[in-house]
Amino acid sequence: MAKIGGARRTGTKTGGKVSFGGMPRLAGLSALLLLAGCGGGQDKAETTSVEQMLTNPYPSTYAPYTGQPTLITGVTILDGTGAKIKDGAVFFRDGKIEAVGQTGKIKTPQGDVVKIDGRGKYLTPGLIDNHSHLGVYPAPGFRSTSDGNEATSPNTAQVWAEHSVWPQDPGFTRALAGGVTSLQILPGSANLFGGRAVSLKNVPSRTVQGMKFPDAPYGLKMACGENPKRVYSNSGPATRMGNFAGYRAAWIDATHYKKEWDDYLEKTEKGEEVDPPKRDLKMETLAGVLAGEILVNMHCYRADEFAQVIDMSKEFGYQVTAFHHVVEGYKAADLLAENGICASVWADWWGFKLEAYDGVRENAALIHNQPGSCTIIHSDSDIGIQRLNQETAKAMADGRNIGIEIAPEEAIKWITANPAKAMGVLDQTGTLEPGKMADLVLWDGDPFSVYTKTEQVFIDGALMYDVNDPSNSPRMDFEIGQEGNQTTGGAGQ
Amino acid sequence: MRNLLKTGALGLAGACALLASNAVVAEPLVITNAKIYLAGSSNDPQTIDNGGLVIEDGKITAIGVEVSVPAGAKVIDAGGKPVTPGLFAALSGLGLEEISLNREGNDRSVRGAFSLSAAIDATDALNTDSSIIPISRVGGVTRAYVTPDPGQKLFGGCGAVIDLSGSVDPVTSACIAQNTVMGFAGAVRAGGSKAAALSLLRSYLDEVALYQQSPADYRFLMSASDLSPADLKALVPYLEGEKPLLVAVESAPDILRLIRLKDKYGLDLVLYNAREAWRVAGALAAADIPVIINPLDNLPTGFETMGATLKNAARLEKAGVLVAYYDSDIGYTHNLRLLPQLAGNAVANGTSYEGALAAITLNPAKIWGLDDQLGTLQTGKIADVVIWDGDPLEVTSRPQSVIIGGKVMPLETRQTILVRRYKDLDRGDKPFAYRGR
Repeated sequence: MAKIGGARRTGTKTGGKVSFGGMPRLAGLSALLLLAGCGGGQDKAETTSVEQMLTNPYPSTYAPYTGQPTLITGVTILDGTGAKIKDGAVFFRDGKIEAVGQTGKIKTPQGDVVKIDGRGKYLTPGLIDNHSHLGVYPAPGFRSTSDGNEATSPNTAQVWAEHSVWPQDPGFTRALAGGVTSLQILPGSANLFGGRAVSLKNVPSRTVQGMKFPDAPYGLKMACGENPKRVYSNSGPATRMGNFAGYRAAWIDATHYKKEWDDYLEKTEKGEEVDPPKRDLKMETLAGVLAGEILVNMHCYRADEFAQVIDMSKEFGYQVTAFHHVVEGYKAADLLAENGICASVWADWWGFKLEAYDGVRENAALIHNQPGSCTIIHSDSDIGIQRLNQETAKAMADGRNIGIEIAPEEAIKWITANPAKAMGVLDQTGTLEPGKMADLVLWDGDPFSVYTKTEQVFIDGALMYDVNDPSNSPRMDFEIGQEGNQTTGGAGQ
Repeated sequence: MRNLLKTGALGLAGACALLASNAVVAEPLVITNAKIYLAGSSNDPQTIDNGGLVIEDGKITAIGVEVSVPAGAKVIDAGGKPVTPGLFAALSGLGLEEISLNREGNDRSVRGAFSLSAAIDATDALNTDSSIIPISRVGGVTRAYVTPDPGQKLFGGCGAVIDLSGSVDPVTSACIAQNTVMGFAGAVRAGGSKAAALSLLRSYLDEVALYQQSPADYRFLMSASDLSPADLKALVPYLEGEKPLLVAVESAPDILRLIRLKDKYGLDLVLYNAREAWRVAGALAAADIPVIINPLDNLPTGFETMGATLKNAARLEKAGVLVAYYDSDIGYTHNLRLLPQLAGNAVANGTSYEGALAAITLNPAKIWGLDDQLGTLQTGKIADVVIWDGDPLEVTSRPQSVIIGGKVMPLETRQTILVRRYKDLDRGDKPFAYRGR
């Protein structure tokens, strides 16, 4: 195993239902597919079983950088759980949040502590974008770096975004300056099945593995509607009904594949000597969805298509975790909420395609207004990802203008806790709660103002961006030493 | 009809002397209790608190702390809220594209090797019923420059300024500037070479000169280019700078090369994109060349944009360059209503508030030669006025009243109707198709 990209993560988290570092203990394929980012067992090098290849062949080597124990006081906190704390305080140490509360009322830490006066400022969880193509469509946008759409077949569930991500994309640094601490990189939407998504921590590394979010589940990118039928108009699918025939045929194959492996595992658990079935990367990803271990992220604009996809998910026994774009979410917000599906939307993009023609600025607010809803503001853009807070602010204001009052402490969830939930990492980040990763953004004012900027961004307790300190601002290799680009660090550019 | 009791602080100079050809005749209108952003140049960024503004026959006839109310005037109490000139989109495909990615809904450029280019005129294709017009209008946009884009050739055709009143004849000024591309975008239209693109542009200009000398004889020349006589004829006004050439360009050296071209041919240039303009800001200011930028463009998308930075807008302003903002991205036409967000971010990155507001009001009017009629709140100008519910550049603010050519605009769009239809998702007595029409 290559070990570049930071120290190997040790002390592997068992994540509740799965255990690593040995043979899977759960019967069935679900135990095999699993987590993108697990560090793998310490004994990984010694065992190279089929199971391990299936489980986690490109493990995360992400290791947090060292931060100082830090106490921020007097700050307005929007904690991501729906609470707002005026004159709040947060203490974090060793990469984890230890205390959150009123200034003077949280346990005062002893010893050498960095103290930050947060008066007049805001503190939020690190922002999370669950729809980004950074690294797979990087800057520079050359044909040779266009690695986001394996548009060679309508089903490319076998491709993994992490194998395209260029960790040197300068876009990561700009997103960091916008407060983004975690993000999900998706393949593009040309295909019915675009491939696996990967979740990253926004800390530069020489390798993708060095950015992979520890213990994050994989996602699967799927796409509804116009894109697949346009891209494959000659070879098919050429219609929306062709799209569905393509999805369903693949799910039938995946059901069969999963059963083959489940049968095999059952036999081996009983001690029978049997040859494993032949691996099929495409089917492995789809079977992972059917096993409930890979989270479905589906690009889908129209209300009628949500309903079709939900029926299909019931037909084959899987859950759609999040629809993306969801420009007509307001027409079916009840359906989304009832089925426990997150809606990952833009604040106000519309009209670039006919299926995006009915976009309204109140979309996020109307989705949010349904009981049990899960609203997310996503970017799908290397520019938009730099201002998720502004996108949220606009959607809040448009809700207010039709009588849907959404408090800032609620709205912040759209770009913190909710995307964390949709990426399967809410137990680790997305809110400011004791025990969670110290991923935080200190803003120089109300984050829902156009004039407000990030002042400091912490990831796992380490200060990774400081607006007032050019030396604490990452610059990717592509940008260093280039004329015209010597102004500040890359992130503040 | 006028019953003036007292004149306003800024008087009534030249009031109702002239009417714009397309001015809408409407009842007199008075906005009171307004925080008025006159939005003049940055060295004269006056604001009047608690002011009033009088509109008659489509024009602003008085502005001041106290204004008199003409007989029969409708009075709008702004409630102390900000009042600005209508927003002016410096570049867009408004009326040319309804749906960007579906060719049935997009008429921004010719496709393939179609013969005509420079002869194309945006006003020949305008869909004046575009739903984007009211949707942009309720976002405070009252005028927009609409341009065709180059297809496979260097030229795209000429653009026009339109009003967003919903008129079937919205053209304020037609065939203003020719759209062309240089740099890498030019190279892909000229054999893959930037040098060839510039050389081709020079050869076209030379040819236009030749054509101009004797149009009747031109077609007998053996060395005729791939430009049609109609294209050459359309390009004549750009030689010697009678009309501005609108050029997409990015890098500092490419911009300098265009400045030299301007000198050689006496061109009037307007540059857009110009992500590295800040590196040659002094030269641009000296050459009196305005630029239209996206102030959010800060990524090195290629080797000609290595200097892309959020500071571009502020540095250009500081150097004295005339700057306007536009969305070069997905909001190019559909999200003109986000011009204030561009301006607000420019302020957050060092541009003066007045400068940023001017970049989406006065400066586009200047660039397109209409600042004598539009772009600021001044007596005698066309009454394009927006009353906001908060700071006009803040992302949470929205217009509460939009006036174009003196006429109060409806605030309904197909989007507001869609919201009304689907706000309550109860099944109801009848299907959704019967509701909120």
